[in-house]
Amino acid sequence: MTTSTPKGRGGLPVRLVAVILICTLIDALLSYQVSRWAYGWLPVPASTAAPYVDGLFSLEVGIGSFIFIGCVGFILWSVIVNRAEKYDESDGLPIEGNTRLEITWTVIPFVIVMALAFYSIDVNEKLAALGPKVKYDVEGGLGPETSLVVDPHKDYGPIQVIARQWSWEFIYPNGVRSSELHLPINQRANFELSSLDVIHGFFIPAFRLKQDIVPGSVISYSITPTREGRYRLRDSQFSGAYFSHNQTDVIVDSEDDFESWLSTSSAQPLVAGLSPGTELYAQRLAQGDRGWATVPPAPPPMVNDPGNPNAPHDA
Amino acid sequence: MTTTKYDPRVLKAPHPVPGAPDNWKRFFTFNTDAKVIGLQYMGLSLFFLLVGGLLAMVMRGELITPPSDLVDPTVYNGLYTMHGTVMLFLFLFPVLNGFNNLLIPTMIGAPDMAFPKVNAAAFWLVPVFAVVLLASFFVPGGPASAGWWSYPPISIQNPLGHLINGEFLWILAVALSGISSIMGAINFVTTIIRMRAPGMGFFRMPVFVWTAWAAQTLQLVGLPALTGGAIMLLFDLSFGTSFFRPEGGGDPVLYQHFFWFYSHPAVYVMVLPVFGIFSELITVYSRKPLFGYKFVAIASFIITFLGLIVWVHHMFYSGTPQWMRNLFMVTTMLIAVPTGVKVFAWLGTLWGGKIRLTTPMLFVLGGLVNFILGGITGIMLGTAPIDIHVGNTYFVVAHFHYIIFNTIGFGIFAGIYHWFPKFTGRMYYEGLGKVHFTLTFIGATLNWLPLHWAGLYGMPRRVASYDPEFALWNVIASVGAFMLGVASIPFILNIVSSWARGAKASANPWNAIGLEWLLPSPPPAENFEDDVPTVISEPYGYGLGKPLVQDENYYIRRAQEA
Amino acid sequence: MTTANPDLPLNHQPGHIKHDGHNLTGFIIFLCSESIIFLAFFSGFALLKLTAPEWLPEGVEGLETKLPLINTIILVSSSFMAYFAERCLHKENLWGFRGFWLLTMAMGSYFVYGQYVEWSELPFSLSSGVFGGTFYLLTGFHGLHVITGILLMGLMLARSFRPNNYAKGEMGVTSVSLFWHFVDVIWIILYLLIYVWQRSS
Repeated sequence: MTTSTPKGRGGLPVRLVAVILICTLIDALLSYQVSRWAYGWLPVPASTAAPYVDGLFSLEVGIGSFIFIGCVGFILWSVIVNRAEKYDESDGLPIEGNTRLEITWTVIPFVIVMALAFYSIDVNEKLAALGPKVKYDVEGGLGPETSLVVDPHKDYGPIQVIARQWSWEFIYPNGVRSSELHLPINQRANFELSSLDVIHGFFIPAFRLKQDIVPGSVISYSITPTREGRYRLRDSQFSGAYFSHNQTDVIVDSEDDFESWLSTSSAQPLVAGLSPGTELYAQRLAQGDRGWATVPPAPPPMVNDPGNPNAPHDA
Repeated sequence: MTTTKYDPRVLKAPHPVPGAPDNWKRFFTFNTDAKVIGLQYMGLSLFFLLVGGLLAMVMRGELITPPSDLVDPTVYNGLYTMHGTVMLFLFLFPVLNGFNNLLIPTMIGAPDMAFPKVNAAAFWLVPVFAVVLLASFFVPGGPASAGWWSYPPISIQNPLGHLINGEFLWILAVALSGISSIMGAINFVTTIIRMRAPGMGFFRMPVFVWTAWAAQTLQLVGLPALTGGAIMLLFDLSFGTSFFRPEGGGDPVLYQHFFWFYSHPAVYVMVLPVFGIFSELITVYSRKPLFGYKFVAIASFIITFLGLIVWVHHMFYSGTPQWMRNLFMVTTMLIAVPTGVKVFAWLGTLWGGKIRLTTPMLFVLGGLVNFILGGITGIMLGTAPIDIHVGNTYFVVAHFHYIIFNTIGFGIFAGIYHWFPKFTGRMYYEGLGKVHFTLTFIGATLNWLPLHWAGLYGMPRRVASYDPEFALWNVIASVGAFMLGVASIPFILNIVSSWARGAKASANPWNAIGLEWLLPSPPPAENFEDDVPTVISEPYGYGLGKPLVQDENYYIRRAQEA
Repeated sequence: MTTANPDLPLNHQPGHIKHDGHNLTGFIIFLCSESIIFLAFFSGFALLKLTAPEWLPEGVEGLETKLPLINTIILVSSSFMAYFAERCLHKENLWGFRGFWLLTMAMGSYFVYGQYVEWSELPFSLSSGVFGGTFYLLTGFHGLHVITGILLMGLMLARSFRPNNYAKGEMGVTSVSLFWHFVDVIWIILYLLIYVWQRSS
């Protein structure tokens, strides 16, 4: 069947090529806009890691939007334009494939995902948060405090982080014990993460950082906070009955405020720290121990500063 | 219907024939006919879809408000654990085995599976381990409550100290499920390799057969690793060993390697057959050949191979060293390529087609749109810095439900509607089907789209309670979930009433090209019996003018007169 | 019979697909899958040995290797006996087959007995830390496979007495023989990992 539609190279009508190009352009513009919006889909950035993570996320949202809008747009267009008449059972165009196109849509995604992978490795290296993990001999009666995994690039620390079912305890170099994690702004703080029972997760959304805490090991981890405020720290690895209550706050202060908190706290007597599970479990027992099996909560850690669990947080 | 004359070949089939007496008995016996076993798997698994769904309704009821006020947190933990376990091991894997049993022999022209007795045994293991699993709700201490991952040490804490506890029964049920699956996999792979019709070389097999083969290969390679890990977990739980217990020198992270070495390929086991279903249905409802059939077929096995070397992306923040994270990030990103090949092939098939928006096609297109979104969030999760932020949050929950329900679930519904006439001999009600689709699509989107943001803002997963700032997302999600619950009603009504009294289906109601459509609806006991057609062209030859088999008109007439 | 129009010329030969004869394929696939479970245990053993803070339990210096070496030689030789049995069966020498087959079973049983003797004299148990757990799990799981092999061989032996069972019997014997060789190879790897590797650390 001959046609007088003007054809460009490759046999496609010029009009079709123009439509495709315009749609691609609109797609790209929309995707770029969505990638800008993506920054608002994350908590307030509060550490040096955050801009890198947010930038990668925005890039991925942009690429993802481009693919999504393009593909879904194509599907909708096909369904509208190529919809068969009600009783039409005739066949469509007898096209079996197009090797050049198939190779193209294999190679281009390969290039894109490899670029993303290596860019992500780069970001991963820049986060530079993870230190060594050292096992200690639990059977031999040793505890996490006997392992030295100190970060040579740290500005402050190490702060011992002890996770239990279901509480957090932070022990500072000068001996202060706290239920809330206070940090000085703009200093690389080093943590020694340990757990006394099951796997827990050290997760601070505002810092974009997460590390599972494995019993029997001590993991060195470092963060540099960049914004003063109060942020949530949540247990992110399922750890049992009161797992969702195993949360506390991170308070980022100026250097002076931080130092004054340290000295005030060291003078305070030890009291039972934040452990919502204790109260909840006691209530459960008082009501006849109904519910499915759980280990009793670990006794609340004895701390100088039990914190202020009802204070509002920024993220 | 008036007295219908049945071809004796059809009547002697061990499976139900519309109007024949004592139909229902065939489903409750140890029947070795693959089509009966297929329908047994389908029926049983759809029942468990409802059970798993019921558990989800309670969970979303709890999560519609921030505090843990509906059930005790320990009860919530048991519910979410059992929801995942029931959905995966009692719904998803059995329903896919149902499709395998119905479609593999008929699509390749085989009379039955290679090992019919093993096939039946594999099916009957399912109610056995279902009872074991559900019995765990009633033992002291309740069911397993450590998530479907069952990570030690939390899963082996055994607070009440009993030998028979929920976790013990859970491990037992999962081990039995593994045995059943491996028996099935040996059957499916042997059948595909050795029992194809004359003329059907590998590159004349329908794509569903390719993807089923690719998926079952993964089962064979991956399941034993899970079994090994599960045995060690059981020993730690019950016999005092310390494989994963730090107190005895063990390593909790070692379990995660065993678990994910299987469970990552497991997701490809689940999605590959659905990719196959998409390929089959898009060609029928666009009346076009599959764009790039050979690429699509080979991509199935590339996914199989790559799927075995990416498991550590579930452990990016578990305590793995940096070099391991980087390595597995690269391998993970590679899987997007063969997957993309399939997606673009489907889009290419739509191009220039004559598209019919029947219920199966609606589910395929809806599933495809959802898959593109789910696949993109998957790529995001594959990059470690993003995964470190959103891992173990509701972003992951949203991602995997977009794949498991919004893609795989949709594909399963599509397949059920598409092949319902073939294997039951009845047409389903199209109107009800469209209602089912509409409710399901809206409900599924409302349920899981908002949860991406909940995760991005920091809401952890598996929580019975959460901070108030996540409330809005959860309210929308719960509304969507309840809508999905309601959507099951038109589906059940449709299946039940159509099977009982739907219009009799012809051999080829969709005018499709494929060996299964050259059989009567429903097919007789041994499909083509002793007159297997010789395949002379590639599948999906719409518009190409070449018949699928030699003497095609003879087989068409033979099917119509049955 | 078909009700199709008999006047239509048929250009095809009706095809037929064999219902049986696929057992060996299925069994080989099964063995490949089974080997992965052992691979999982082997890698677990190796990883735990390399990373545990304290590998050996209190008071345990290592494993004695002489008795296990004898056991190994007997098990490996039994594979050759199984091979000879297969050759006899192929040549339709039923009594030759039964003789070598029984010898294989006897050697396998001796291996199991030897394992039991070793177990009963060991100073550590299943719950003696990672070492005890992995040792008993690996050797126990392997031992279970040896016992299963012996039982399957017994079944084949009994079937060989059924009259005219030659063709069916051979397929089963090939599979069981394959299983026995598989069990043998697994043991060799096990022996290297558990008994030989301890020398070099």
